[in-house]
Amino acid sequence: MIWVGWRQQRAEAAIVAAMLAALAVVLLPTGLNVASAFDAGHLSSCTGATASDSCQQAVDQFLVRFSGLGGLVAWLTLLPGLVGTVLAAPLLVSLEQGTHRLDWTQSITRRRWLVTKLGLAALAAVVAAGVLVLLVTWWRTPFVRLQGRMDNSVFDSEGTVVLGYTLFALALCTLVGVLWRRAVPALMVGFAGYFAIRILFDTVVRQHLLTPLQATWSAHGAPPPSAWHAWVLHQFPSDRFGHLASVDIKCAHGPDITTNCATDAAFMHAVYHPASHFWALQGIETAIFGGLALAMLAFAAWWVHERVG
Amino acid sequence: MSAISTQDLGRRYGSKWALRDCTIEVPEGSVTALVGPNGAGKTTLLQLAVGLTRPSAGEVTVLGLSPRDPALLARVGFVAQEHPLHRGFTVAETMKLGRELNPGWDDALAQERLRRLDLPLDRTVGRLSGGQRAQVALTVALAKRPEVLVLDEPVASLDPLARREFLNALMEAVSETGLTAILSSHIVAELERVCDHLVILAQARAELAGPIDEILAGHRLLTGPRTDAAAVARMHDVIRERHTERQTTLLVRANGHVYDADWELHEIDLEEIVLAYLGYRASRPLTEAVAR
Repeated sequence: MIWVGWRQQRAEAAIVAAMLAALAVVLLPTGLNVASAFDAGHLSSCTGATASDSCQQAVDQFLVRFSGLGGLVAWLTLLPGLVGTVLAAPLLVSLEQGTHRLDWTQSITRRRWLVTKLGLAALAAVVAAGVLVLLVTWWRTPFVRLQGRMDNSVFDSEGTVVLGYTLFALALCTLVGVLWRRAVPALMVGFAGYFAIRILFDTVVRQHLLTPLQATWSAHGAPPPSAWHAWVLHQFPSDRFGHLASVDIKCAHGPDITTNCATDAAFMHAVYHPASHFWALQGIETAIFGGLALAMLAFAAWWVHERVG
Repeated sequence: MSAISTQDLGRRYGSKWALRDCTIEVPEGSVTALVGPNGAGKTTLLQLAVGLTRPSAGEVTVLGLSPRDPALLARVGFVAQEHPLHRGFTVAETMKLGRELNPGWDDALAQERLRRLDLPLDRTVGRLSGGQRAQVALTVALAKRPEVLVLDEPVASLDPLARREFLNALMEAVSETGLTAILSSHIVAELERVCDHLVILAQARAELAGPIDEILAGHRLLTGPRTDAAAVARMHDVIRERHTERQTTLLVRANGHVYDADWELHEIDLEEIVLAYLGYRASRPLTEAVAR
């Protein structure tokens, strides 16, 4: 059955491999370019929490030069969903074209057929997600050293969450497809649903997965070390009684907490996830997406086993 | 033992019964034709027999086992409607699929059949003609070495020549291996040559089931002067009655011999019997027909 399962999803596996290969063709040379610019600017000495003025200038120069490219790489957050959607296709097409009836009336049980087909698709999803994470993580190393990796656009394509996302997209498309029994619309709806849930996590859910830290510091001093490369949820100045200062606030947005937002404020307050929360947040989010993926795959398999003729 | 046996078998989709109260026996070693118009429940009955769908009512056994029994999988072959094959597979890969998925695969038989049919091994299935695809599907089913072979509308999509070749191949396999075959069709003409048993399905119910020679012997066409059919109907089942101004023609299923000087007796061919039964539903209450 392994050969049959592989043969039936060879084309989709080739599409995914081609997508990753095309990505590598773009990322490898540009990544080398980014890395050599990082070295040429001696930026490795500028990765600490406190940077000298000359460092700040070099960092800004580097970030401005590659901001367009970095923005493009952020779009790769769509790729896990696309990979999962493509890998869900063979099973759905088989059900739509009726070829499952050929397979099911040979000498193997439906259970073995389902386990092999879904297992191979999940395996391909994990391998593709792994390659994607390695490529993107390597490419973005210089940026992460300068800016951290807590920002959504970075967090989403590093660590283990990508595995969860890919499996989730595969499972969601599979479930919609076996219930609806129309392959192409099901894949489109599945991908759209996957994307909506990702946006929900980025904007609403993730910040609540762990309790964020709160810090208060003098408006003329430096923020606490834990705020370095943190994901700032709220940040506001106050007067010395703790009342919210009603001043024109010129705070830079981004992963770093900038000091001296308001010149006449006495204190700065911030609610944030420190960089040390990275793996805990990754783990929780991976568990949620991975767990939902396994539950949906199990339900889809049960549905096909019991309800599809 | 019956190869396939159903008892009050029914299958419902939503509120609509695709098959209802179906009780038939397909004897081992027989070649049974399952005849009926489109939508009569033929596909449903066959899919129930091979375990693709589960009954909503009643039960079906194949070789004494439930169709979903894993022990039965290797013993039953199935050629589905439209012969679904993986269109991107080559003929050789389709045979490899059969070899991979069937422990009892008879590769020599498969190769010999393909060679005789002159099928190009390296061509993808999607580029074969309809007749060739049907033969590939039959080859997969036969090389599995099943004891019971179920074919759903195997010749519906074929031209007359391909139809004849397909049925010849099937007959040959039946005579060589002694397998039990049941095939559905809405075309009666070719079946009489191939089959020895007949099941007529109409509007989700089995109307008639039995050996073809008994069916032929049991049905008579009576013609006589115009009269009411009531007298005949007391003795025999009147399947169809037609009246002209002066003459009445009855198709009856005779319970015993028809001795009646008023009527002239004629033999009748299978196709006409089938057509009469397919029109029969309209004129008789359901329960009566099923009780037969």
